Amino acid sequence: MEKHTDNFSLMLDSSDDEAPEELTFEESKAQALKSMKHALDTARREKEQLKEKRRKRQELFQEQKKRKLLPADVLEEIDSASSKKQKQSEDEGEEEQQGEEEEGKEMSIKKKKRKRSGKLAHARNLKGKYTVTTVKHGASEASQRQAAEDFLQSRLYGAGSCRTTSNELLSLQNKKGRNKSAAVQFVKKDWACSEKAKAEKLKKRWIHKQKIPC
Amino acid sequence: MGEFKVHRVRFFDYMPTAIRAMAFNPRTERLAVARADGALEIFNFADNYFQEKVIPGQDGRAAEALCWLGQRLFSAGLNGEITEYDLENLRPRYTVEAYGGPIWSISGNSQGTLLAVGCEDGTVKMFEILEERIQFQRNLDRQKGRIVSLCWHPSGTLIAAGMMDMIKIFDAESGRATHRLLVERGVGASKGREVVVWSIAFLSDHTIFSGDSAGKVQVWDGLTGTLVRTHLVTKWDVMALSTSQDESSAVAGTSEGTVVQFQFLPSIVGQQDKEWVRTRTFKNHSHDVRGLAHTDIAVVSGGMDTQLVVRPLLDKVEKNTQESAMRKIAFPHRSLVCCAKKAGLLLFQFPDHLELWRLGESNGHGSPGDSLSVKRKPEKLIQLKRKGEDHISCSALSPCGGWLAYSTVTSFRLYRLQNNNISVTKVSKLPKDLRAAQQLCFSSDSTKLFASCSRSSVVVVALNQSECKYLQTLRPKSGSSQPIHLLCVSEDGKWLATANTDCEIHVFNLDKLKLHCTVPVYSSCPTAIAIHPTHSNLVVVHADQQIFEYSLVHKEYTEWSRKLQKQGLHSLWMERDTPVTHVTFSSKNAAHIILHDTFMFCIIDQSLPLPEAKTLLYNQMTLRSLPESERIMHSHAFKICKNFQHLLCLRLLDDNSLVVVERPLLDIMSQLPAPVRQKKFAT
Repeated sequence: MEKHTDNFSLMLDSSDDEAPEELTFEESKAQALKSMKHALDTARREKEQLKEKRRKRQELFQEQKKRKLLPADVLEEIDSASSKKQKQSEDEGEEEQQGEEEEGKEMSIKKKKRKRSGKLAHARNLKGKYTVTTVKHGASEASQRQAAEDFLQSRLYGAGSCRTTSNELLSLQNKKGRNKSAAVQFVKKDWACSEKAKAEKLKKRWIHKQKIPC
Repeated sequence: MGEFKVHRVRFFDYMPTAIRAMAFNPRTERLAVARADGALEIFNFADNYFQEKVIPGQDGRAAEALCWLGQRLFSAGLNGEITEYDLENLRPRYTVEAYGGPIWSISGNSQGTLLAVGCEDGTVKMFEILEERIQFQRNLDRQKGRIVSLCWHPSGTLIAAGMMDMIKIFDAESGRATHRLLVERGVGASKGREVVVWSIAFLSDHTIFSGDSAGKVQVWDGLTGTLVRTHLVTKWDVMALSTSQDESSAVAGTSEGTVVQFQFLPSIVGQQDKEWVRTRTFKNHSHDVRGLAHTDIAVVSGGMDTQLVVRPLLDKVEKNTQESAMRKIAFPHRSLVCCAKKAGLLLFQFPDHLELWRLGESNGHGSPGDSLSVKRKPEKLIQLKRKGEDHISCSALSPCGGWLAYSTVTSFRLYRLQNNNISVTKVSKLPKDLRAAQQLCFSSDSTKLFASCSRSSVVVVALNQSECKYLQTLRPKSGSSQPIHLLCVSEDGKWLATANTDCEIHVFNLDKLKLHCTVPVYSSCPTAIAIHPTHSNLVVVHADQQIFEYSLVHKEYTEWSRKLQKQGLHSLWMERDTPVTHVTFSSKNAAHIILHDTFMFCIIDQSLPLPEAKTLLYNQMTLRSLPESERIMHSHAFKICKNFQHLLCLRLLDDNSLVVVERPLLDIMSQLPAPVRQKKFAT
């Protein structure tokens, strides 16, 4: 027990009696500079590390992009017509719309590298191999619009919509009108020509058949 | 009066297009109607429902929804673009891609600051309204189905969106969907299909109206998100909904062609608590009703049968007056046919092509009412397809038949016709001032072409052989920015009269190529103008059926015109509901003015007395039954003939025969798309 208190008092004493350390101005300045330099060094090192990481990531993306595109010789075989078909058959999901456009752009740029069609009005010839053109508002918008119109059409005129023809509507009006008359296809001379021709033929055939036995 | 050989022309296959959407602007009293081919029409409801402006369409741009924001008009379509229109130059101002796929609906908030569009990909996109354009602001929370219909709450804080099988209420500030209202599917076979909420309306007491593909109109409480009442209105779809400004009445349009009205009334008379009760049903259409608008006094509907029907509500107007009559607007209020008087040629204007026909000839003589035998049938000489995607906005044929011109919103083309009108050569070097025009007119000697351009001005070009040279631009002093919708030139080539939609009529002296005078402005828009060949009197017919005659030489109204104004026009004349679209004169009798509207043509004989208010206006049949000597006593100046309907054009050729271009309504009806099948008793 005494030892402990002795030790304790000794420690206290040592800290109590001793005067604070005397540091010269130069020493403290050197220390401050050193710590600053150390901080700068670490910051720089961190920045460089980050740059390195970013560069590596960018390279990885380039690599992935290159892998995503079709090989050059396959592109050469693809015609512009069939590439449109490809775009249409791709999923028209909204998430992929942007990706689709980008891909479309890349494909067209790559194709331009080989085709070099000078017909396009917005084409600019850069040095060497590239021709940059605006992608025509494209197949993706047209196909989406067509899909929306098909949806509307199928809802209003598709299966289960219980529709009839204008001929029937007008014929019913004739039948229920004040001066009742025949169905419109009989009233109007230039309607239902094919049916009338068929009816004529049938009539002629029947008359002919009637004549033969006698 | 007159015996005319009549060329009865029925080979103009004019086919109007279906109405897809409508929007009414209560402050300016204009109705905007969008058609399936992308064309836009503006009707002035304050001026006898006159079709003031027509903006031609474009391939691939069909508006699915329209909305007014102040004085600006916006449309959105299935091509994913929002278009703002320039109503002074009659063309689209700009288009903005929404990048959300096809757009199904568009709606502006009542403060006029934001525009919301409902897209196929499930997002409601908000656009800020700026001075000259709109700018994308943000998306509200994206949903899993397509947004088919949209409506703002009048306070601008909430948006109700109709989707597939449900309705979602969004908080406009946070963008989050706060309520989800589930819509029941149809019965029987339709149970397997999703129900589409085609239309929706949001009232200020948070009541939501929805019309869906199962034929129901449902009333919801937007605060609690519960269903209040279901009305099964039809077996087919309810495609359009509209509510009145005072929120006491709502109308729903169905695929059957009926329009059903609901009113906020106490269910038991005398009691206080009101509810939405189904009141009237109107069956004014044979095909689907796609667009509806509810004005203060009437219900306006339009759809696949291409006719615009205005049905005044009898509890808002006095019965049996001009105001309470139902109106059906089926034909355009401008002429689509141009006639070359000297050459006997007709030019038909279609949205995508022009047809040039030569009239037939007959050799017979007969008594009135006979059909003469045709010696040479009318033949189609040229069919000219337009270049580019924009539809043709106006066209003209020179009287000699040697020049043909047409204009779209972006381009102008002039053609020279030769070899007895068989060969067509395009005039390539056009003066740069000759751009898109809203109206075109050739001078009577075919040496000059007049084309209207912006700010109510007219560009004059000289034509000779196969080239054209710019002469001058004639500008009126008023500096109005409204477009010119009528252009006419006198026979002697001295005067040019223009009329714009600001109701201004300016007359230019073509010898000096400057403004001669401005006719005093009358409150109604002019629908037809013409200059008399010998007297140089300008005859103007207005949308409210008033007729004026103004002497260009003396710069004042003529004696006859003053007499007409003093006596007033006959009440039956004033009650006609289609405007006069053309005025012409007879070379044989200088006192005759020939004009026509869709249902009649009339020869006004200025030498005869004007009809009194009580006399029979349509007295041609009675006069015919009287002996010759007594006819003079009973005749009056207005000689009306209703033999030909529906008149699209009536012209007098140089050989004094009449050309009448008719388009029977039955021919149009027979080419409409399929209507719904309704089982009726005993059929």
